Amino acid sequence: MADTTQTVTVTDEVGGVAQDLARASLAMARRFSAGATMWCASPNWPFHAHHVAVEFVHPVIMGKRALPAVTVPPAADMVASLRASVVPGDIVLVLADADDARVVETMRRGAAWGVETVWIGAGKHRPAPGSANHVIWLHTEDPLEASELFVRIYHLLWELTHVCFEHPGLLKPEPECTSTGEVGSVCITCSDEGRPAEVVSVDGDEALVRTPEGQEHIDVSLIDPPAPGDLVLVHAGFAITAATEPGRSV
Amino acid sequence: MPETTDFLYPFIEGDETDSGTLLEDLARSAEGKWSQSSALREATLTQSAAQVQATAAAMAERFRAGGRLFTFGNGGSATDAEAVAHLYTQPPWGRALPARSLAEDQAVMTALGNDVGFDLVFSRQLIAHGRAHDIAMGFSTSGNSENLMRAFAEARKQAMLTVGLSGYDGGRMAAEGTPVAQCLVARSDSVHRIQESQAALNHALWAAVQEAIS
Repeated sequence: MADTTQTVTVTDEVGGVAQDLARASLAMARRFSAGATMWCASPNWPFHAHHVAVEFVHPVIMGKRALPAVTVPPAADMVASLRASVVPGDIVLVLADADDARVVETMRRGAAWGVETVWIGAGKHRPAPGSANHVIWLHTEDPLEASELFVRIYHLLWELTHVCFEHPGLLKPEPECTSTGEVGSVCITCSDEGRPAEVVSVDGDEALVRTPEGQEHIDVSLIDPPAPGDLVLVHAGFAITAATEPGRSV
Repeated sequence: MPETTDFLYPFIEGDETDSGTLLEDLARSAEGKWSQSSALREATLTQSAAQVQATAAAMAERFRAGGRLFTFGNGGSATDAEAVAHLYTQPPWGRALPARSLAEDQAVMTALGNDVGFDLVFSRQLIAHGRAHDIAMGFSTSGNSENLMRAFAEARKQAMLTVGLSGYDGGRMAAEGTPVAQCLVARSDSVHRIQESQAALNHALWAAVQEAIS
């Protein structure tokens, strides 16, 4: 049992996250500029998700843009709720531990849904490499210290995102590789070897799948029959492989 | 065709293309604000140390007598109220204590807001729930929210212990004649930095309550 004495200590963790905050903020500003809605979720700490959403919707500084941010209800089936709601170009921001299965399942669908994923958390275990477009991770294992620093992190994300709006020339989408590396082992813009897709329905050797470009029918005769919700890689109209199980936290 | 005066307004046409400089500026800005937050946190905890202990002792007394903690606030402060209720009821260690955020039930919040007005959304709930041994804890960055002041006044009337967390110079919550018995203030004029230091105060106060009650 940890001791209950006095105040928590705040180690100076900013060195490890300043660059990540900068990159995530620019990516979020680009997505917001293109019309994104940001979906905020924190299954174990719903108050953090509420705080992020209210921060963006109702800025504390007068005159700053109100941005569309929504809290995913903590009681919701996170994957089902987001699957029904997100559109390509949206942002999914999650505060959660690295081994939260609901979050792992959500984030690995990011590439098929075409959303930008941001995962904020703390502790010894980080999400597996490529689990999200942006991972902002603290080292502390003290839950109270982590909770305090989460507030700093999302305040800074808001502040830096608004700084980016002062640079309209940099808000145009960058022609860059956006693969998270996890679902699509090959990037869709770098090669055509495999595009991540989520199965919507299956009819024999044919399946309807969802990709960032929309829904399409593919041939699934080359792989074990998939089920709705499964992730596959698509090449030239064929599912060439089922996407592997999510990586373990490291 | 670029105008000859473009150098005066390098990015006015939105033709800035190199994000490297911006990313460096953003990272530097993050580091600066992080340091400011750490400095305010230390100053706030140091200045409030004795008051945190006194408040915790009074709260522990209430809890021992069967009292419950009611928390409330608006916007980001409503989420702080929710976080504190979560911490007391589901602590990472120590003893679970009865606590509830009055801002959390949207049916009650919208019913009261619609029917009697937003200034009364918390005080009306305290009329329904409050008992003499209970604790009313309100969060505000300005210290001036009308619905908090009404709730504190109602709590005081019921002989509840009143605890406030405020910012700036404390505002009405810390002014003369306030119904707030213990007002802890994070002295800053940045709403974000205030909330960050209030989170530290919440944790220090909770730890002190745990110590006082065990």
